[in-house]
Amino acid sequence: MIKHILISDPTLRDGNHAVAHQLTANQIAIYATAADEAGVPIVEVGHGNGLGASSMQVGLALEDDVTMLETARKHLSKSKLGIHVIPGFATIKRDLIRALDIGVDVVRVASHCTEADITQRHLGFVRERGKEAYGVLMMSHMAPASVLVEEAQKMELYGAEGIIIMDSAGAYLPSDVEEKITALVNGLKVPVGFHAHNNLGMAVANSITAIQSGAKILDGTARGFGAGAGNTQLEVLIAVLERMGYFTGIDFYKMLDASDIAEREIMPVIPVIKSESIVSGLAGVFSGFSKHVTRISKEYQVDQRDVYRELGNRKVVGGQEDIIIEVVMDLVRKKK
Amino acid sequence: MAIARNTLVFEDCKKSCKDPYTFSEFKDKTILITGGTGFMGRWIAEMINYINDITQSNIHLILLARDIEKFQVEMPHLANKPYLSLVRQDIRNLHDLPKNINYIIHAAGTPDNRIHVSQPLLTLETFYKGTQSLLNAASRLPELKKIIHISSHQVYGENDSDLNIEETFLGKVNTSNIYGESKRISETLCFAYKNQFKLPIIIIRPFAFVGPYHDLEKPWAINNFIRDAILGGPIKILGNGLTIRSYLYGSDMAQWLLKTLLIGQIGEAYNLGSKEPTSLNDLAKKIQLLVNPSIEIINKSSKSIYKNISNLVPNTKKITDSLSLEEAHTLEESIKRTTVWNQLKTNNEN
Amino acid sequence: MEKLKVAILGSGNIGTDLLIKIQRSDFLNCVLFVGRNLSSPGMAQAIALGVKVSDESIVAIEKNSDEIDLVFDATSAKDAKHHWGILEKLGKIVIDMTPAKLGGLCIPAVNLDEAVKQKNVNMITCGGQASIPMAYVIGKTQKNVEYIEVVSSIASRSAGPATRLNLDEYIDTTELGLSIFSKAKKTKAILNLNPADPCIDMQTTIFAQVDEPDMETLLAEVELMVKSIGKYVPGYSLLVPPIYENGRIVIMVKAQGLGDYLPKYAGNLDIINCAAIAVAEQYSKVKNNVN
Repeated sequence: MIKHILISDPTLRDGNHAVAHQLTANQIAIYATAADEAGVPIVEVGHGNGLGASSMQVGLALEDDVTMLETARKHLSKSKLGIHVIPGFATIKRDLIRALDIGVDVVRVASHCTEADITQRHLGFVRERGKEAYGVLMMSHMAPASVLVEEAQKMELYGAEGIIIMDSAGAYLPSDVEEKITALVNGLKVPVGFHAHNNLGMAVANSITAIQSGAKILDGTARGFGAGAGNTQLEVLIAVLERMGYFTGIDFYKMLDASDIAEREIMPVIPVIKSESIVSGLAGVFSGFSKHVTRISKEYQVDQRDVYRELGNRKVVGGQEDIIIEVVMDLVRKKK
Repeated sequence: MAIARNTLVFEDCKKSCKDPYTFSEFKDKTILITGGTGFMGRWIAEMINYINDITQSNIHLILLARDIEKFQVEMPHLANKPYLSLVRQDIRNLHDLPKNINYIIHAAGTPDNRIHVSQPLLTLETFYKGTQSLLNAASRLPELKKIIHISSHQVYGENDSDLNIEETFLGKVNTSNIYGESKRISETLCFAYKNQFKLPIIIIRPFAFVGPYHDLEKPWAINNFIRDAILGGPIKILGNGLTIRSYLYGSDMAQWLLKTLLIGQIGEAYNLGSKEPTSLNDLAKKIQLLVNPSIEIINKSSKSIYKNISNLVPNTKKITDSLSLEEAHTLEESIKRTTVWNQLKTNNEN
Repeated sequence: MEKLKVAILGSGNIGTDLLIKIQRSDFLNCVLFVGRNLSSPGMAQAIALGVKVSDESIVAIEKNSDEIDLVFDATSAKDAKHHWGILEKLGKIVIDMTPAKLGGLCIPAVNLDEAVKQKNVNMITCGGQASIPMAYVIGKTQKNVEYIEVVSSIASRSAGPATRLNLDEYIDTTELGLSIFSKAKKTKAILNLNPADPCIDMQTTIFAQVDEPDMETLLAEVELMVKSIGKYVPGYSLLVPPIYENGRIVIMVKAQGLGDYLPKYAGNLDIINCAAIAVAEQYSKVKNNVN
């Protein structure tokens, strides 16, 4: 029996973190075309923190949501167009209705891993409109498996057709992935997915552990283009999955071409695990923080490793980028 | 030419209730329904409307609910009938009831499990405090003949067998199941009030229903399948397609409830539902065939192989035999009627 | 001086915390505490404090209309609308704690005198009470405010089911308040729930994009504003004074609760309640000609 894995590719969403949300419409058009050609099932597009998230808090995007989504829509025919939506940033009235009108096919409604209640209305709205809705639990390393199951079950009831847990900090080891994915597969009716970050160099290994534990959905990006140390490198993942006898529907050679195009056209720097990314992963800090931490630490001349450690101690969650400023100011004060 | 929604519903009542004169004992009597504006309340109101219309029985109906405006807006053809009155009241804080009440159907509290997980304390309070408030008030009614307490099939716990569930069944229960445990404690309350205050209580344990007045957004497979089909598909089966359920049509449900109110045995518990099992896979195929054969059915499931198949179908021998009841609508008819009703514009938009 | 006679409608967390704060007020006297359930924890608190209670909701206010000057509506936006239909006819002053927006929006440190000329005053949102004063100061001191954004993080445990279900309404109402008070061309509000243990205090960051930032004037005005808010919200403090960073003005404030009915981390509930008390006291002062 050929086992099928659904691949969602957030190169044009998580990758936006890596360029401080400065992806251009042209870059979106180029990669969307290549990914579509390669048969990538879902192409996720937008600001790094998703729909309606362009802000001073997490970074202003170069292109607005409408431009990004309309551009991607125009260049995707086989692939579905996906978006990431965090209630608290995006509202139904201001953002979601418009996105669905543009022709978004797949909506992944996300919350911090313990706060699934806030996704009820957004998930319900997407299903009412007949689109595909998934639930996403971010920063999932911060909660034990039993809590993740409870929160995921809520999302399932609210209408999610699958639940993806994110290792937003790149903090997981394979044993963590196995424990959590197994618990979710047992506790849920709908398929389970995994979204990795590569801070500890474990993204591909963790993704494979996830499917061996029963996950059916994986996220990966061209060259691993994503926040912090980057995501699971999609072309590598496809190669490994094929060797293991899994089927993704993606044309391997064309995926290699797409990632070459991505490297050439959209990446100022190819993702690499920098020293501070390792500290960030160990501290369990949201990968989307990395650009901000680097910039503000440099501006006020503090050691960014200290900043990550303190952010980890404070158990800051995604969306709390403002705390970086406060932490840096504290360190400056202590230095004096 | 499409018929109006309320004509469709009226016809359904006629089909379910072959002899409306059976209910002559209810003539000029007053029935209270708590949670009166929900699926059950609306169908009972429709059935009473039908009976009153044919037999001129002048059965009075009091619908008690937290949100009565919604009923007034959505049910204009009933809201202004002289025999119907609406009372705005949170069941948890109920003190007194009109003294002329003869019958009560206690249907307050939602079976929507999205609310059970988001607001577990509200759920507990509604079933526990709400039931106690109602029974306290009911115990002081001078002319009360009967109370039906609407419980749930969830009081049975998990059913590992492939047999239809009988009223004596005891399955595995779990204290973290807020809804199931709330329904269990409210049944226990009924038991206590029946003993201590001699209240004439009957327990009804409903299974799944289908029909008009069921919001298609409620998180239940049949609702979502019909919604998906109306939207042009695909129909999404989430989880194990071999899961077994059964569905009783709204007007049949109302007929069965009123018959229970009329001749049900005090102190007994009855299952309320359809005895015809169907798997989610078969249900999806039926809906596809009946609503739109060109749409796709897809399955999304966490597991490839399931050890247990969930089976929640009632054995209905007790209620159908002792109260002479039958399922007037087949599943196919139920699906067709529900779909047509949902596709029709609401009456006040016509 | 005659204390203003007030009633509290809604016996939940907000209503109960208001009651405790009113007990300390020199200007207010709570004559009636109204809910729908005599066995709720809020009712127990009120009974323990010797306050007259009722479970008859709005009917209790109608019955005792003569004794009441002002009503705090701490129910829900939907109920508040229904209540205002009745209370307006009775000629009552209403301080609306819900996002129903039936009356003018009020930030006591900014428009208290204007607000109490109305019969219905809306308290916006908790995040709005924390951030809008700063947005107002930015609007007052800076030229051409292009954009203002506020981000509030609150402890997960301080956000009840209604807050969680209604994040969109919170955002809408806060953005409306921001644009009215700051006159910024564009506004944005963001809310985070943080589950950290121990619970975090409510923290709010205000970002602004302006032409030629005047940080000196801003700092002076911000300090004045913090002082003036501090008069009615003792737990309000400046966490990071205005800085100009990466092309934007950044100000961070913190609101710690008084720990009256709810723990100190519930600063989000505390700040909106403190603000409401300030409005009610102002009505009382006006009535008694106290300055």
